[in-house]
Amino acid sequence: MPRFSNLLRSVRREFDSLTTTQLILVLFILIFFLLLPVFSILYKAFIFQGHLSIQQFEQTFSDPDMIKYPPNLQFFKIMHRYRFEVLPNGSRILVPLTTLVIGTDGPDFGYIFNSIFVSTCVMIFASIIGTIAAFIMARYNFPGKNVFRVLLFIPLLATPFVNAYVIGKVLGEGGLLNYILRHVLHAPFTVVISGLPAVILIQTLSFFPIVYMNVLSSIINIDPSLEEQAENLGAHGFKLFRTITFPLSLPGLAAGATLVFVFSMEDLGAPIGLAGAFGDGLHNKLMSFYVYTQFQQAFSLEQVSPSAYVVALIMLMIAVVAFMLIKKYVSLRQYAMLAKGGRWSPRVRKLGPLGVLAVYAFMIPLVVVSCFPQIGVVVLALTNWATSGAIPTSFTLEYMQALVTKPDVVTAIRNSVTYAGLAILITIILGTSAAYIVIRRRIPGRDLIDVMTTIPIVIPGIIVAVGYLIFFGSIFFKTFMDPFINPGALLVFTYTVRRSPFLTRSVVAGLQQTHVSLEEAAMNLGASRVKTFFSIVIPLISANVIGGAILSFVYMMNEVSTSLLLGAHNPAQGPITFLMSQVIYSTGTVGAVSIAAALGVLLMVLQITAISLSNYILKQRVAFLGV
Amino acid sequence: MVTVRLDNVVKTFGKVVAVDHVTLTINHGEFFSFLGPSGCGKTTTLRVIAGLEWCDSGRIFFDDQDVTDLPPYKRNTGMVFQNYALWPHMTVFDNIAYGLKIRKLPKDEIRRRVKEVLELVKLSGMENRYPTQLSGGQQQRVALARALVVEPRVLLLDEPLSNLDAKLRIEMREEIKKIQKKLGITAIYVTHDQEEAMVISDRIAVLNQGKVMQVGTPQELYRRPRNLFVATFLGRYTIFRGRVSEVDPSYVVTVKAGSLVIKGMPPAPDIKVREGDEVVIIIRPHSFKLTPPAKPHNVIEGVIDWVSYIGPYFEIRVKASGIDFLFNIDPETPVRIGERMKAYVSVEETMVFPISAAKDMAYMQELK
Repeated sequence: MPRFSNLLRSVRREFDSLTTTQLILVLFILIFFLLLPVFSILYKAFIFQGHLSIQQFEQTFSDPDMIKYPPNLQFFKIMHRYRFEVLPNGSRILVPLTTLVIGTDGPDFGYIFNSIFVSTCVMIFASIIGTIAAFIMARYNFPGKNVFRVLLFIPLLATPFVNAYVIGKVLGEGGLLNYILRHVLHAPFTVVISGLPAVILIQTLSFFPIVYMNVLSSIINIDPSLEEQAENLGAHGFKLFRTITFPLSLPGLAAGATLVFVFSMEDLGAPIGLAGAFGDGLHNKLMSFYVYTQFQQAFSLEQVSPSAYVVALIMLMIAVVAFMLIKKYVSLRQYAMLAKGGRWSPRVRKLGPLGVLAVYAFMIPLVVVSCFPQIGVVVLALTNWATSGAIPTSFTLEYMQALVTKPDVVTAIRNSVTYAGLAILITIILGTSAAYIVIRRRIPGRDLIDVMTTIPIVIPGIIVAVGYLIFFGSIFFKTFMDPFINPGALLVFTYTVRRSPFLTRSVVAGLQQTHVSLEEAAMNLGASRVKTFFSIVIPLISANVIGGAILSFVYMMNEVSTSLLLGAHNPAQGPITFLMSQVIYSTGTVGAVSIAAALGVLLMVLQITAISLSNYILKQRVAFLGV
Repeated sequence: MVTVRLDNVVKTFGKVVAVDHVTLTINHGEFFSFLGPSGCGKTTTLRVIAGLEWCDSGRIFFDDQDVTDLPPYKRNTGMVFQNYALWPHMTVFDNIAYGLKIRKLPKDEIRRRVKEVLELVKLSGMENRYPTQLSGGQQQRVALARALVVEPRVLLLDEPLSNLDAKLRIEMREEIKKIQKKLGITAIYVTHDQEEAMVISDRIAVLNQGKVMQVGTPQELYRRPRNLFVATFLGRYTIFRGRVSEVDPSYVVTVKAGSLVIKGMPPAPDIKVREGDEVVIIIRPHSFKLTPPAKPHNVIEGVIDWVSYIGPYFEIRVKASGIDFLFNIDPETPVRIGERMKAYVSVEETMVFPISAAKDMAYMQELK
């Protein structure tokens, strides 16, 4: 038995009071507030009337709303109509009008394949645009480069629902696009875009910067001597790009593209925002929206269609596969940085006039179109655009004032700040402990903790929310922890679990940059582990803790999916994003949309402040979606 | 003053055996070094003594106290890390005072002792600087002061000079040795630099692949290596293989290597060779003399192949009977490539090692 006694000895040594406390805490939160809720979806999907069954799957897959066969492939139609025009003398005449209608009647593959179709398209488009933008920004110098650097970052500022609403308002029958077509260009036709193509457009515009950031950081981290060696051997131009630069930046592209796929799949902003602009339609025939409506309207679990559990499980599976792909590629990422040392100056080339023109021809339309939703949100918040038709006519501060005067708005802001504030306290303890265990302790199961603290980045918020409704709704039925009665308490934990990866990754980075001998020196001089942790480790990584906490806080403030699904069960406890979705989707009082826009502006200001602050504290640009 | 005793210590990392059944005793007040190539387990052994790594089996004693299961913070060792491990968020004073604060000494005493130790390492007046404001040599002294101020039972130094430039390294190693002798503290030193180990140590343990190859004073290791590894790790040499043709009762061994017949001796009486054995001959370059010594000796005669002027001596390569010999000779001697020359080496300094195991064969291949 010497083996066994050795094991006992090592267990006794590794589990000092600090490690034990940290480990119990981390495991408790991760198991209770992540694993069990998420696994309860599995249970609900496979248990039918008390026993194991795949009947719910059969039922779901044979539902033509879920999987439409044959699919409707009518991408567009052309409508010839007549409409009245008012002449300057006051008389009205009928004029012929041709309208190109895209996406309104199709394509439609049913909920499940609509989502997969949209996510795939968004992933492809975002990858192409993001990769090109990243190569241009990483390798070329041209006038106004810094302006583009900032503008490429703007689409990442989340203004849930309102940005999609703005696009809907532009693309609709009486929207800005058609106003320009008819009154400025005097074109003989108009265009209406809604349905899945509109979702794809909106999501591509808001998610391509994720690919851009990941590819950019990949390229920047390529050891220049790798490319110089290839040039030395005769490769240049496109050949160099295809054989060296592109393969070495693939890990960034793979990670970025996978994230975009998952974010697109779980997104509620586009379907709800478009429904606000166009009313219900194919743009909300998506898995995320289906699960959302099922659970949002239910007063208890019994009212939820069994298909909702199956759909939630499908989304979860896709997310887990995506996570495994990212893990694989992110570990691959290191090979680009294998060869260190030598000169490390970025390989940036100055462009000639033709090159500059080509870059502008790509970048200017890109930033104009992709920044438009955010600009539109600001315009919506500060003018009467919501009610004035195609273009705004007057400026007003009425809606911004509502942020501090309107009681339900003030309550929502207060709720958000309270939840995010409490969640950030838990996150600091959880994230710091988890990072310390993962990086510094040699205990079995350490890798599992690593996975569990990272995986929430890809698990759709809808899944977490559904898991909470099932798990806490049945175990804590009619108690303080019942999400159908008191969602606020649980929102604190969904925020913690979903957004702690930002802090954990930041602390992990901090610990990796801090040599372990600094801690060993303290222990060598007689400091216990606890003493070492608080007198040496914490001061050394405080910048990473604060920087990560700021980022996490901001993402908690604009967390959408769990806020909506849990918040719906007690609107008085709803956070900002819940109120925004209500205002947009239920299209209540006139001008209410503008209040949502004002909240969007508030969120944007918060994000810009927090990110600048955290970059300043960490003294480096952290990967925005830090995977 | 403490005697440190390692008894059959084993430490593995996965499948790699970093410390392989190491048993040795480090006497009190001794300056003891672990010497070996990188990856030989010397740093791991030191960390096991400090308690920063737990050994898989075996025991460690400080005098009669078994410290094997004591956590690092209860062992009272003073360690100087290779990268100094100075805390960047603390001043020199706070760095040095840290261990004293942990021991809850009164403020006055802390101030007094920090002042004393700073005088010892010649850094008085630097109390309020931050580590980043110090030179490499000064950081090294702070690290030493921080380890010494707590009056540790053993001073542990993990390649402390490897980050300094060559000149400073020579200065510091003398200073460390002086301080150690002044305090009379037991010191254990890890290095891969054989010259450093020779200069600074009372005794050295040569390690290879986690095993102790030989323990001894620098002279013993250099003049009486017990095996091929130690003989080839320390200093330069001429090496070739041969077969034993005769062993006489006074341990003089006659070896045939191709057309060359040479007489030699195993460096220790318990190293046995027999007639017909395959052996390796190792001769230090300075063992060759240009005039015949009084003792029994061999004569090497060949053609000069290569000459390099080192400063205190010429290093020349001579090809004789198909073997490359490396000589160090007086720089006054006129030598030219292509000339014939004659040199003498005593039988005693012609070291004979048996090639006993397959491992030795593999090692020979590596040397070639």
